[in-house]
Amino acid sequence: MSASSDGPLLELARRIVAASPAEETEVIIERERDAFARFAETGPTQSADRERYRISVRVRTRAGAGYREARAMTGSTDPTRWRAALERALLLARSSPVDEEAFALGGAIDVRPSTASAATLSHSFASKAAWIRTAVARCAERGLRPAGLTRTTGLERAIANSAGRAVQGELSRASFDLTVTGTDGSGRADATSFDVTRVDAEAVVERAVDKAVRAQNPVELAAGEYAVVLEPAAVSSILLFASYHGFGAREVDEQSSFLCGRIGERLFPEAITIVDDVAEPLLPGIPFDGEGNPKAAVTLVERGTLRGPVTDRHYARKLGLPCTGHAREQPNADGPAAENLRVQVGRTSRRDLIAGLDRGLLVTQFHYTNMIEPRDLTLTGMTRNGTFWVEGGEVKHAVRNLRFTESLTNALRNVRAVGDVAHVAGALFDGAVVTPPLLIDGYRFTSTTDF
Amino acid sequence: MGNDTKLARAAVDAALAAGASYADARVNRLLREELGLRNGKLETARSPEDEGLGVRVLVDGCWGFAALPELSESTAKAAARRAVRAGQELGGARTSAVRLSAENGHVGEYTSPVEIDPFSIALTDKLDLMRRADESMQGAAETVVREVTLSLRREEQVQVSSEGAEIHQVLVRSGAGISTTAAAHGAVERRSWPASFGGNYRSAGWEFVLAQELPEHGARMRDESVALCSADLCPAGERDLILMGNQLMLQIHESVGHPNELDRVHGHEVDLAGGSFATPEKLGNYRYGSEIVQLVADSTVAGGLDTRGFDDDGVASKRWHVVEDGIFQGYHTNREWAGETSTECTATNRAEGWFHPPIIRITNLSLLPGTWTLPDLVADTEDGVLCDTVKMWSIDQMRVNFQFTTELGWEIKNGERTRLLRRPTYQGRTRDFWGSCDAICDENHWQLWGVTNCGKGNPMQVAEMSHGAAPARFRKVTFVG
Repeated sequence: MSASSDGPLLELARRIVAASPAEETEVIIERERDAFARFAETGPTQSADRERYRISVRVRTRAGAGYREARAMTGSTDPTRWRAALERALLLARSSPVDEEAFALGGAIDVRPSTASAATLSHSFASKAAWIRTAVARCAERGLRPAGLTRTTGLERAIANSAGRAVQGELSRASFDLTVTGTDGSGRADATSFDVTRVDAEAVVERAVDKAVRAQNPVELAAGEYAVVLEPAAVSSILLFASYHGFGAREVDEQSSFLCGRIGERLFPEAITIVDDVAEPLLPGIPFDGEGNPKAAVTLVERGTLRGPVTDRHYARKLGLPCTGHAREQPNADGPAAENLRVQVGRTSRRDLIAGLDRGLLVTQFHYTNMIEPRDLTLTGMTRNGTFWVEGGEVKHAVRNLRFTESLTNALRNVRAVGDVAHVAGALFDGAVVTPPLLIDGYRFTSTTDF
Repeated sequence: MGNDTKLARAAVDAALAAGASYADARVNRLLREELGLRNGKLETARSPEDEGLGVRVLVDGCWGFAALPELSESTAKAAARRAVRAGQELGGARTSAVRLSAENGHVGEYTSPVEIDPFSIALTDKLDLMRRADESMQGAAETVVREVTLSLRREEQVQVSSEGAEIHQVLVRSGAGISTTAAAHGAVERRSWPASFGGNYRSAGWEFVLAQELPEHGARMRDESVALCSADLCPAGERDLILMGNQLMLQIHESVGHPNELDRVHGHEVDLAGGSFATPEKLGNYRYGSEIVQLVADSTVAGGLDTRGFDDDGVASKRWHVVEDGIFQGYHTNREWAGETSTECTATNRAEGWFHPPIIRITNLSLLPGTWTLPDLVADTEDGVLCDTVKMWSIDQMRVNFQFTTELGWEIKNGERTRLLRRPTYQGRTRDFWGSCDAICDENHWQLWGVTNCGKGNPMQVAEMSHGAAPARFRKVTFVG
């Protein structure tokens, strides 16, 4: 979809705006096309070929210096359904209290074009079955059990408002993830890209199987502080908490962010640079926010020094900062969010990161990470899918899983080296980051488990 | 036959004509109303509705599923053909056929009992209640966030299967809550009523929202959040733990509910949610908890968020013991896993609306009440901490090692509450923990607590269920400093 000609979603959004009697109206329309197949040792266990729309209508009426406003949504493009949604929004808005801080919708604006991968959108279930066969067969050869997901998704989004704003964009995602389980240990690998042709399923299978084989016969290790090499999936599951809670202007305003009173302070080593960049080549996103403002690339940590936060129009005005275009759909109880984090690569190969561990752990992934304390992002979670003891720079054997309780700020402060290749990595909860592996000293593990 | 039933029937017929050996279709219409005040501003004012059709088929022993919006006969047939095609293209990679347990094709109706239809209440009345709740939390300079949440939901579903099922269900749930956060002395602390993450929810109407008495509890929440900012951190060490119901419900959910899902037990959720320590050889002989621990799953209990007539397999709702007298006795299953393991289907196959295929979900799962009163329990505790309201939770992929933090702790010394404790964090292992349960409060302290954010599946889908609990005591639990 190009930025210059209206696609069908933008056309419909404009139509709904034109039909609205409200003083101000904003319409967001999304279309999602999703195809996935899950699998286990018996082959495909579940699949879905599905589509849905989300039409979200925001109406606003001036009241004194502010606005009354509300939003209603429908999953149907049928005019009777979106007209009903418009009516519900108007009804809600009429009874809403006045928001004295609200200001007029933003007008016409240019956003850069975005595209989805055609190959990804047309990826068939037969092709997914071929990946699954490879995984199931390879695991069967080694006496291991697979469980995984193949998925291709396309998302289109358009926003139009009564002030003349009209933007549209799209993205695609393709992923293949595989968890391989043996008698007493498991391994995991995955690949995610905007383009399905860049997903090397055979390489994922080989990595996951290799890791699972190495993960057998784990040895118990006492809880304590250890130097660690965190693989990208482990980095992702802790760094995403700064995306959920920390890098956004609302948390700064409400005094609950680790950035509070520290912006400009050199808190981390010079090797740490973190950027929020929707144009990240490995995982490009839709280049505008929930109000249609262009998403800027924002340096949040610059060579160890805290910058940021990301803002939307409301918090930019409130805090006297530039608007970076990170709004969620408005009005919203949640503030702006940095959802496209990238950790800048360093100069150390993965092999050399491990070689840098005299005595420590190689951690594949963390499971069910959650936040105990927002101000320093104290987190807890469990290792998963391959945790290995490293001695003298060499991987010696698998260890049983451990629970960590550690603050993200402390972990980043203790980064000794940064990997030279970045990967797309997700986590149990929502989101993904692009990050290399990190070598971190003194990571705190607080308890053990039986497996 | 209603129009939605006709559409579902058309989808099932089209799937059979395209080569499916089994088919079911669900037409689902969802209406919600979500209101949220944040620091007095109406920052959430949403009225989402959604409708669509999901078709599930078995082709050559392999599942296919398709879901489309825009309800019409042509859409229903198109979805059926797409589901069959998915099953056909994937079927060659299947090494053994799916076997469903035998069930009668039920024809039935179910509607949530509701005293006052929550969607009939004027918006001004809802906002007035929320404003009064917000005002009750005002008055402290340290307060940085005040939140009032109200959420209503009505879900209507028609399901039809190729085995004769024809079911119509209307499920209504309502809930509300308040939360206030203070920042002082370098700390940020939150207190919530009646529970965190939006309050408490029940399969009920407006009467349940009123019963939460939100304005009556705002001042206490405000004062406790401020006091917590200067309270001592809960010290590390081994102590007795009294869990209030709004925390114990999460303990039940995470350490009993999830490990009890039979698909998970057999490794089919390992790719994201994880596996389970509660493996089949333990059934009937494994000591899960002390002798007073009775954990009952029940999709018929009054007010439960998963109280319904039938699950998405079309099987009638049930009640059964998961743990009886401390011994592990039963799983949550669906027709697929009941067929695979030749066990009874417990009717817990559920999807998040029409867009997702159903998977095994925890139903309403409750710890039955005991005999104590809370004052007696506190008076009987020499060295303990009373923990109230979920703040943070984490549990490993096999559901053994957990670590939970609550919003508030009260130190108990020699039978008396002595001081407020900040950030009480306890950890343990599931079997040891439930084995240490030596006292449970009685039915006067027992109530259902709603979970509205249970994630499972890959891609993840969200389900709702309730957990009944009264305060209970666990001996010699490890607190993390």
